[in-house]
Amino acid sequence: MHLGMVIDLKRCVGCQACTVACKSENGTPPEVLFTKVLEQVAGEYPIIKKKFIPVLCNHCEDAPCVRVCPTGATHKREDGIVLVDHQKCIGCRACYVACPYKNRIFLQKGSLKKGYFGKQLTPFEQVKYPKWQEGVVVKCTFCVERVDQGLDPACVQTCPADARVFGDLSNPESKVSRLIRQRGGYQPLSEDNTEPSVYYLE
Amino acid sequence: MRQAELTAQKDYWAKSACKMCIHSCAIRVHVVDGVVLKIEGDPENENNKGKLCPKGQAGIMRLYDPNRVKTPLKRTNPKKGIGVDPKWEAISWEEAYEITAKKLKKIRDEDPRKLLVSINDFHRIHLWGWGSAFGSANYFSTVGQYCGAAYHPVNGSLDGSFAATNDYEYCNYWIQIGGGDGFSSHLHVAGSIKRMAEARVNRGMKVVVVEPRMSTGAAKADEWIPILPGTDRAFVLGMVNVLLHELNVYDAGFLKKHTNGPYLIGPDGKFVRDRETGKALVWDAGSDSAKDYDDESIREFSLEGNYTVNGVKCQPGFQVIKDTLKDHTPERMSKICTVPAETIRRIAREYGEAARIGSTIVIEGKEYPYRPAAVNYYRGAIGHVDGGLDSSAMKLINLIVGNIDVPGGHIGVGLDHRLLLVEPGSDGMIKPQPHILHPPYAFADKPYSFQLMEWFPIGIDPGHLSADNILNPEKYGFDFKAEALIIEHSNPMWNLSATDEVTEVFKKLDFIVAIDVVLNESSEWADIVFPDHTYLESHLLVDIEPPVITGHVYRRPVIEPLYDSRDATDILTELAARIGFLEQWNGLLNFTAFLKPEYYLEPNKKYTNLEITDRMAKSIYGPDHGLDWFQENGHAVRHQTPEEMYLPYRGLRIPVYFNFFKETGEDLQAKMTAAGRKWDTSSYLPVPVWRDSHPLHNIPPEYDLYAFAFKETLLNFSESNSVPWINEAMEHIPMHMGVMINTKTAKAKGIKTGDMLRITSPFGEITGRASVVEEIHPGCIAMSNGISRWSNHPIPKKSNTHFNRLLPADVKWTDGMTGHLETSTKVKIAKI
Repeated sequence: MHLGMVIDLKRCVGCQACTVACKSENGTPPEVLFTKVLEQVAGEYPIIKKKFIPVLCNHCEDAPCVRVCPTGATHKREDGIVLVDHQKCIGCRACYVACPYKNRIFLQKGSLKKGYFGKQLTPFEQVKYPKWQEGVVVKCTFCVERVDQGLDPACVQTCPADARVFGDLSNPESKVSRLIRQRGGYQPLSEDNTEPSVYYLE
Repeated sequence: MRQAELTAQKDYWAKSACKMCIHSCAIRVHVVDGVVLKIEGDPENENNKGKLCPKGQAGIMRLYDPNRVKTPLKRTNPKKGIGVDPKWEAISWEEAYEITAKKLKKIRDEDPRKLLVSINDFHRIHLWGWGSAFGSANYFSTVGQYCGAAYHPVNGSLDGSFAATNDYEYCNYWIQIGGGDGFSSHLHVAGSIKRMAEARVNRGMKVVVVEPRMSTGAAKADEWIPILPGTDRAFVLGMVNVLLHELNVYDAGFLKKHTNGPYLIGPDGKFVRDRETGKALVWDAGSDSAKDYDDESIREFSLEGNYTVNGVKCQPGFQVIKDTLKDHTPERMSKICTVPAETIRRIAREYGEAARIGSTIVIEGKEYPYRPAAVNYYRGAIGHVDGGLDSSAMKLINLIVGNIDVPGGHIGVGLDHRLLLVEPGSDGMIKPQPHILHPPYAFADKPYSFQLMEWFPIGIDPGHLSADNILNPEKYGFDFKAEALIIEHSNPMWNLSATDEVTEVFKKLDFIVAIDVVLNESSEWADIVFPDHTYLESHLLVDIEPPVITGHVYRRPVIEPLYDSRDATDILTELAARIGFLEQWNGLLNFTAFLKPEYYLEPNKKYTNLEITDRMAKSIYGPDHGLDWFQENGHAVRHQTPEEMYLPYRGLRIPVYFNFFKETGEDLQAKMTAAGRKWDTSSYLPVPVWRDSHPLHNIPPEYDLYAFAFKETLLNFSESNSVPWINEAMEHIPMHMGVMINTKTAKAKGIKTGDMLRITSPFGEITGRASVVEEIHPGCIAMSNGISRWSNHPIPKKSNTHFNRLLPADVKWTDGMTGHLETSTKVKIAKI
C-alpha cells in the first residue's frame, strides 16, 4: 500500500473549498494552512494562461524531512504517510529547511493562544487546539485519522470539481494509478528526486 | 430524528441546509459534546453530492463568532456615524419589543409609508412582504443590482423561468458572458462546479468566456475573449448578424413550432390580427395566405418574406428581427466592444456548427431536439442601462439556434419545479412572468414607493433609487418622508450605490431597528437590535433552486441556540402583533408560504416559525409530509424529470419577437403621459439593438478607464469576508487584495503594484492599492468586494476601496425597462 494523491489541474477552479475544509477538519490555528491553492499567471495580455495549483505536503517516498530529523519525530508509515510525532519533535526546524516544497509550518510560541477572534478561543478552537503543541513543526497528514477509518482526506471529500483523488499508488488498477498513466501525471519538482506521493495532471 | 432526540446525543452528524450564500446546499454537521466540529456536504443529496464550497465549510466560524448579537440591544450613544461605538446595552426582549412596537405603531398610525424596509433574506422570501403588510411599499436595499433586475424578468418573460443555465449534461459548446455558472457562482456553486468539471474534462465540452477580466471561468476556458464592460450585447448581436446574414444558420423548425417568429408584425410593431377572430395572423406558405396562428390547416409557417394582409404591409417577426439587425455587422459591433470582427465571426461559426441544428436525441424514450451549443450569461452581461436589451439579446442568440429548453441548450429554471410558471397567455403564447418574487406594483400617477417600483412594470425593485428620492422628494413629488428603517439580514449602506447619499439617509432617520446574526455597516446605526438564530440553530424549508435538481432542503437546528436569540420570523410576527397588523401579516404568509386553504393561518392568532414551516411542508408535499416527516427523512430533493426540463411549454409558444416588452412600454408611456410626466420608455423594444445613447459610453473622455467590481467563490452571494477562515483564504489570493490594472495601462501611467491610487468617477471617489496584472482588459480597472468593508467587525480589513461609492444611483443611470442600475462606470486614476 502506497497512499497518494492525484490533483487534476484541469478540473481545479481554485475555489479554496479544500483550504477551508482542511482548516475545519484539522482545526489548525490562524495562519497555519496545510493546504492552499496557488495561482500562477503566464503570458501577456490577451494570451494568458492562469493556473490554480493546490499544494500540500507531498508525502515523499524519499522524504528529506525524514532523513534530516534528528529525533525520529518525522517518520513515514508503511502506507507512505509522512507524520510528525509532536512528542518527539524538538522544534529544530531542520525538516522545515530541508523540505523543497516549503510545506512545513513551525508553530510559533503563542500561536495557540491567538485564536481567530482573539484571546478568547471559540468552542471549536477550545476542542481543536489542545492537540497541537507550540514550538513544533506541523504539516498535512493526509488526514490520517480519516484515512484510518477508510475515508478520504477532507480536501478530497469536499472538492467540488473532484480535482483531488486519493488512493493506492502501488495498485496499478487504482483510480490514482490509472489517472497518472492515462493523463501523464507528474510529480512536483521531480528533479529533486524526493519521489512525491502527490501527482499533478495538466 | 425528532429535535430533542437529535441534540440529546453525545456525538452525531445532523443533516441540515447551508446558508452561507443565497443557495441551499444540503449539509451534514458533526457535533460532539454540543460543539460543532465539521460541516460537510451531504453525500446522500442529489444536488451537491457531498460537495461544499469554502463559504459553507466556514459556517462554524460564523456560528462561534463572539461578535454575534447575543441578546436584544439598545443603543445608548445617540451619536451615529461610521466607526462610532453605539455603546450597546443588553436589554430584555420585552423592552426591545416595546420600544420598537411603540415607535413603529406611531409611524403606522401617522403614515406607514414613512417606514423604509430592508428585509432581504433570500432563504426567507416569505418575510420580504412584512413591509407591505405594515403598509409601506418602500424597499431600501437591493438584490436586483446584484443578481439581475434585468435578468430575472427577461427569463420570466421568455419561458416562465426565474433563472437559466446551460445544460451541463448535454452541452458541447458553452459560451459564458459575464457569469460564473460552473466555476464560481450562481446556482449552487458546489454542485455546478462538479457538473461543469465533468462536462469539461470527461466529455471535452468547449468553453468560451467573454469578460473584461480573466475570471475563474475565463482561466479554465478554452478561450477567453476580453471585452469592455457594458458592451456584451454588441458582441452577441454581431454574432446574430453573422448567423442570419452571412451563414444563414437558424433553427427554422424550432422557430416555427415553438416561438412567435412566424406571427405577422405590422408597421406599428404589433401583431396583425384577423378582423373577425382578433387572433394573431401568420403567413401560410402552403396556401400562400394569412391564417390565424392556430389554424389547423396551416401547412408551412413562413418565417421570412414581406406580405400585405387586409391592406397592411407586414412581415413575420423573424424577418423583422433579421432586418432590424442587418446593420449590426461584426465590424460595427467590434468598434463598440473591442472584440475583433474576425473573432465575432469565428465564434458565431463555431457556435452555429456546434448547435447541430436538425439533430435529435432520445431521452427516457422521448425524442427531443438536440442543440448542444448555448450562451449562458449573468449579472456582468446585463447589469447595465439597457440591461433588458442585453438580456433579450442573450436570449435571442440562443433562440435562433433553437436551443431554449432543449437538451444541450439554455434551460430555464424556477425557484423549484413548481415555480417554473408555464401558464397560457394571449395569442397562443406563454404568459410572461416578469415578477416571480412578488406581484407587480400597481401604477400610480403619484409615486408611493421611494424606489419608484410603480413605474417599472417589468422590473425588479430598483432599491438604489430610494436614497435619491428620499433626499430630493420634489423630483417626482413625494409628499411623505422617511422616518424609520427596519433591517433584516441586509446591509443597505454597503449594498446600495451612491454610498454617500445612502449615508445621508441614515443620518436623517429617527429610528432604525435591525434583526441579524452579526452587525454590519448598516445595523451599526440601529437603535434596537434583535438577535436572530444562525442557520445552524433554526428551522426552515428552503427551495433548492435548480438547475437539474428540484425540491426543498430541510434546515434544522444542529445544536440548541448558543445565545438568547429568536427566529427572525417569530420576531417579525411578534412585532406585527404588537404594532397591530397581525391579520394582514398572516394573510400575506398564507400566500408567501404557499399555504393551501386547509392550512391557512387564522387572522388574529400568532403562529410560530415552526407551525408555519409545518403548514408549508404539508401544503406542498401533502398532509403526511409535515415537519415530522422532514425530521425523520431529511430533504425532499430529486432530479428534475426530462418533461420538467425540456420543452415544458404545454403547446404554448415563447417569444423570439418580444412583443410583451413593446406593449408594456407603450402602456406605461400612455399612463405617464396622461399623468403629465416625462418618462423614458425607449428601451422597451421587441428586438434588442445596440443604442449609441448609452450613458456609460458617453461619459466625458477625461474618465479614460472603465471600472467594475467582481467576486469569486469565496465571496459570492454572501457577506463572508467577516468569517475569518474565508478572510484568511482570501488574503492569499492577490486579485482580492488590490485594484487590478493591466500592465500596459499601468506602465503608460507610471503605476506600479502597491502604489496607492485615487480613483475618481463622475459620481464619487475612492482610494486603493494598485495590483498590476496581465489578466484584465487594458481599458479597465477592477476591484474585488473583498476590499470593500468598513464596519466595526474586527475581521474584515477596513478599506476605502468600496466600488459602490463610484456609482450613481438615479433614474438616468437605471435601465428603463427593468430597473437595473448601471453597475460599471468610468474613472480617472492618479497616484497619491
